[in-house]
Amino acid sequence: MAGLFFLLCSLGVLAQEGDARRGGYLSRAGGCVGCHTDTRKDAVPYAGGRALKTPFGTFYGPNITPHPIAGIGRWTQADFMRAMREGERPDGAHYFPAFPYPSFTRINDADLRDLWAYLGSLRPSAQPSRPHQLGILYRWRFLVFVWKWLFFSPGPFKPDPGKSVLVNRGAYLVQALGHCGECHTPRNWFGAPKKDRFLAGAKLGEGTSAPNLTPTRLKRYGDGELKDILQSGLFPDGDVMGDTMGEVVRNTTSQLTAEDLTAIIAYLRSLPPLPDAPK
Amino acid sequence: MKRSGVATVVALALGVAAGAVFAQAKPEQLVKQRQAVMTLQGKYFGPMAAMAQGKAPYNADIVRRNAAYLDNLSRMAWDGFDAGTKGVKSAALPAIYEQPDKFKEAQSRLENEAHKLYEVSRSGDEAAVKAQIGAVGKSCGGCHESFREKQ
Repeated sequence: MAGLFFLLCSLGVLAQEGDARRGGYLSRAGGCVGCHTDTRKDAVPYAGGRALKTPFGTFYGPNITPHPIAGIGRWTQADFMRAMREGERPDGAHYFPAFPYPSFTRINDADLRDLWAYLGSLRPSAQPSRPHQLGILYRWRFLVFVWKWLFFSPGPFKPDPGKSVLVNRGAYLVQALGHCGECHTPRNWFGAPKKDRFLAGAKLGEGTSAPNLTPTRLKRYGDGELKDILQSGLFPDGDVMGDTMGEVVRNTTSQLTAEDLTAIIAYLRSLPPLPDAPK
Repeated sequence: MKRSGVATVVALALGVAAGAVFAQAKPEQLVKQRQAVMTLQGKYFGPMAAMAQGKAPYNADIVRRNAAYLDNLSRMAWDGFDAGTKGVKSAALPAIYEQPDKFKEAQSRLENEAHKLYEVSRSGDEAAVKAQIGAVGKSCGGCHESFREKQ
């Protein structure tokens, strides 16, 4: 009995402690640093401050370093897993879905533990988080409860048994960690993604947009070209992509292993080709 | 009287002729030209970016040449964004004309970064050159974000 217990432990099945190094990779795959770091040149990574403008107001990514007051140093691993999986603060209040937990809820338990271990390994920063500046109608967090009831389905990613391991890995990276749909899927009036237009491109306000990632548009590039684009931020003709995605390339896609990039491309190729949105 | 009349006619004719010579190109032509500038910027920037990212072996001679080309090219596209071209089909967004100050600022950013790259490429410090290539790329991307439709 005890032997079985130790065997399981050594296999990591019962291990509750995450692997911080692996968590660092997952954090890059999740692009956490983007919203949780100010845009100033000398900004401390993960100490918060980045503004996210939305039709509902401006959100500021909070400090997620392990500082006991300014950051999340007093959280438990369970608090973290609840935040990511359920979109709830340790005190039970609901997060606004500007924090992309509708995507992060798909991250599996093992990866969440690794992410938590990584965040715990960061240097604590005392930089206080900035309060969000929201439109008058959107300030009540309890309304988020209604939103979640309508649009949020928690639970980890379930691989599609009809698809290859590679495509499932890509789906996990795109849907869960990468949260690509947060920008590349258009939203309805309530700010919830339109499921039938998943990754078909969306307007982002101020004239900017995120393009269609279904085969309708991607078919013009070969696999090698797509890999180069995601690694370099550069199209085959030397054209440079817009800098919102440019930042995602720097923080995330250029940091991924070749296998993970291949998986992402295989998954995007497997999507139903959706037409571009009418202009 | 007669003579001055003739002089006026001649002057007018010359004026018209001069006007024709210096008349602005047709909007379609301006769009084509500015797109050509963008194409060439891509041609000369692409290989440098590949070197900065370690995807191609670093070659200081090519960087020096391309940086010099880019320094000049970075100043060539802008007069092509004449308000008269608004009606011509292109990826240019209306924001160019709605936020002219912001557009101007984005232009100067590219010009400054490209010029800095030209200067750094002469100094021969590979690390500094690579960092500056990244800065140029960022200034391209900044403009493509707000002022160009996604391709």
